[in-house]
Amino acid sequence: MLSRKVILTGSFGVGKTSLFRRFINNTFSEKYITTIGVKVDKKVVEVRGQEVSILLWDIAGEVKQDKVPKSYFLGASAIVYVFDLTRPSTYRNISVDMDILKDILPDAIIKIVGNKADLIANESAIEKIKEELKVRVDVITSAKNGDNVEDLFLDLAGDFLE
Amino acid sequence: MRFQYGMPHYLIILSTSLPYNMVATSDKKQDKELLNQLQTILLKDDRATIERLQATIDDPVLLSEKVSPIIEDRMAFFKEQFPVEFRVTVDKLIERKLKASQAEILDVIYPVMGKMIKKYVNHQIQIVKDSIDERVKDTFSSRGLFWRLKNSIFGISASDQIIHEMRDYKIEEIYIIQRDSGLLFGSASTENTIDQDVIAGMLTAIKSFVEDAFKREREDLEMIQYGTYKILLQNFYTYYIAIAISGSMSSTEREELGNELLTFADDNLKTLPAEPDEPSFKAVSAKLKEEFIK
Repeated sequence: MLSRKVILTGSFGVGKTSLFRRFINNTFSEKYITTIGVKVDKKVVEVRGQEVSILLWDIAGEVKQDKVPKSYFLGASAIVYVFDLTRPSTYRNISVDMDILKDILPDAIIKIVGNKADLIANESAIEKIKEELKVRVDVITSAKNGDNVEDLFLDLAGDFLE
Repeated sequence: MRFQYGMPHYLIILSTSLPYNMVATSDKKQDKELLNQLQTILLKDDRATIERLQATIDDPVLLSEKVSPIIEDRMAFFKEQFPVEFRVTVDKLIERKLKASQAEILDVIYPVMGKMIKKYVNHQIQIVKDSIDERVKDTFSSRGLFWRLKNSIFGISASDQIIHEMRDYKIEEIYIIQRDSGLLFGSASTENTIDQDVIAGMLTAIKSFVEDAFKREREDLEMIQYGTYKILLQNFYTYYIAIAISGSMSSTEREELGNELLTFADDNLKTLPAEPDEPSFKAVSAKLKEEFIK
């Protein structure tokens, strides 16, 4: 079985821990508890008949990625960068953050995720946010209702097998 | 003016200020009016005093000014006298309460006390072990050899041997963990614990957090301790070994275990793959079980 370390990062309050819980335990809580340090958990997924063990690191949110301890990123095969669709401050500096992450882990797969889609009234508003950004958004998710969360990690697992 | 016993005040004044024939001839209405005037004159001071007092009572600030010093004084007195006056009563109350809630109190205290005692005993044994080890090291010359020979001839059990045998440490779990990713290269355990991948990941996260938080370059976290349980961390270049032990371990024993780990690493971990895979995981885990988990 293939094992890979995946990092969940982004600004604070964007829903990293909610995505983590939705993926690992399929649960959601409205209560906001800030993450201190890091939390690690694991989930084994099956892709194309092969098992992949994803060791997911949920890192405490930071406004800028250069504030995150570099040692957390070391050895990671993928980074899931999460932003909040309802808070422009969480995606305004996304290209700067991408440069920082690519500098730390040049070979890692990076997925950019817009979360809290359930709070956006219509599809066109999401499209507008996507157009504003200078980088490509990979997935739009909702940790609250589970939209695209499982798919996000299954896609990653598939990428690991290639 | 003369004062006569038994005569009301107004009559005294009447007798001095009004002629007798006028008093005698005044009707009741006049009497009442005069009486009112007299009351006003006589009670003037008393009424003023009452008004002043009423105003003081009605105004919280004024009332507080007057009453607070008295209350404070009483409070100070009470505070001072409380231990003297009420000590016996309070003692009796506490005693009664303790007797009544003995079971509940024990329930709360017992687990904490148990852990504290266990930790203390372990700590003391470790101190004894350390001091004995040091002494044995010091006297390992001719005197030490003579002492050992004497023990074996006469069958006298040496105290250090007894203590060593009494409370040996035990390796509960052992992990070989990739240094950066926290992925497992191999593991072995005395019993089924929670997901070992998660333990390895979390240990790596804690290690990274501590090493990063204190910004001590080229220094590694070497031990995590909770209660009587210790996790020793032996660091290598691309991986580290984490060993969870119970019981007490002297510094010499730790040194010996460190040497064992170095030998194990030299014999078995030189050919670890760049990324952990299943065949190597199984092979390393089997070796760990064979060598360290008795």
